[in-house]
Amino acid sequence: MMDRDKLSVLAISDSGFIFDPVTGHSYTANATGLKILELLKAGKEEDEIKSAIMDEFEASDDEVTVDIQDFVENLKKYFLV
Amino acid sequence: MKITVAVSGINTIDNPGPGAGICRALKESGMEIRAIGLAYDALEPGIYLDHIIDKSYIMPYPSGSKEAFIERIRDIHEKENLDVIISALDAELPIYMDIEPVLVEMGIKMLIPTKEMFRLRDKLKLKELSEKIGVKAPEYISCTSLSDLHKATEKLGFPCMVKGPFYEAFKATSPGEAEGYFIKIAAAWGYPIIAQKFIQGDEYDVIGCGDGKGNDMGVFAIRKMTITKLGKVWNAVSIRNERLIEATKKVVSGLKWRGGFEFEVLMENKTQDIYVLEINPRFPAWVYFPAGCGINLPARMVKLLTGQEFETHSDYKSGKLMIRYTNELVKDISDFEQISTYGESGEVKK
Repeated sequence: MMDRDKLSVLAISDSGFIFDPVTGHSYTANATGLKILELLKAGKEEDEIKSAIMDEFEASDDEVTVDIQDFVENLKKYFLV
Repeated sequence: MKITVAVSGINTIDNPGPGAGICRALKESGMEIRAIGLAYDALEPGIYLDHIIDKSYIMPYPSGSKEAFIERIRDIHEKENLDVIISALDAELPIYMDIEPVLVEMGIKMLIPTKEMFRLRDKLKLKELSEKIGVKAPEYISCTSLSDLHKATEKLGFPCMVKGPFYEAFKATSPGEAEGYFIKIAAAWGYPIIAQKFIQGDEYDVIGCGDGKGNDMGVFAIRKMTITKLGKVWNAVSIRNERLIEATKKVVSGLKWRGGFEFEVLMENKTQDIYVLEINPRFPAWVYFPAGCGINLPARMVKLLTGQEFETHSDYKSGKLMIRYTNELVKDISDFEQISTYGESGEVKK
């Protein structure tokens, strides 16, 4: 389960720099991470995120699935979702 | 209308006092301010910061005679016609609390905490403070011996925090480590040493000012990005955290806080619960940061004390960065001669 409310307050710049105005923490995401984050923030479901990433980055289903799971785990670790 | 404000804590050293930041905030407030520095040593850097402090005087130590302290202020007042004194050092607050009625008779105004507020902000009264303001406090045990420490860590478990009475705090992960920190802190700062339950989270600071009637005159929250060895903020970022702002407002309304303060808290990562760590009963050294972001608390304080209208909003942007830096001034030995011989600096040539 993800709490996406926290994502709504994040300031995300095109460079991949992310600032959390509630905690003052900042993070950097790569292009793939940034895309996943934007899609999560837009309320997209995991399947929609997966196909969007596969289209944009020409990666296999397995790779993308693992990358998304990995990224979401990191977001949880940092209490961002 | 020119307002003359005397400010202490102009020791902008590696453990900086708030005085220079207060003077800078006042000078940039739009009011016509004459800033007078109150120093305890001829080498306090603020004495030489001519662009923000117009003149400085050496004060007798606050631990000495009350009469001598009053006489020195009377002497400065005769020359400067002081309107306001902003005390910015913990160590001198008790004497100012004692002599405030005398200062009022002289026509000098201050906005400082009462003795009860000052007592409650003691690190060892955290539980009592926490109950008064309705904000959690981490479990802690005061220790004056290694045997106390052993009992405390048995109760609190590891990791735990070992903290000094004034400065320094270490995370101990074993009895041996806790003992080492205990001895180190005791040698540097004395007793009591505080053993405190470790809570996984980040430290945050909020600056504010209370009018003494339960109203806040503006608050501003930061996350410490880097700190000095003594735990002082070096770089910081402004944040907007409503739970934190709410907790700070409880300090002001719950205690009817009077004067500037710094509310130090820990926010638990997992739950975002707020734990009070300390209240410093005066503006912190980073007081200029909020002023630079539109929350000029020293100016609001002076306006309240001199009967002027002042803003009370806390509207500021998150994501503003404070970068503290060191700098050098080149002055003449005659400047040092002046302050060390006559107890007052020369008049700044404008």
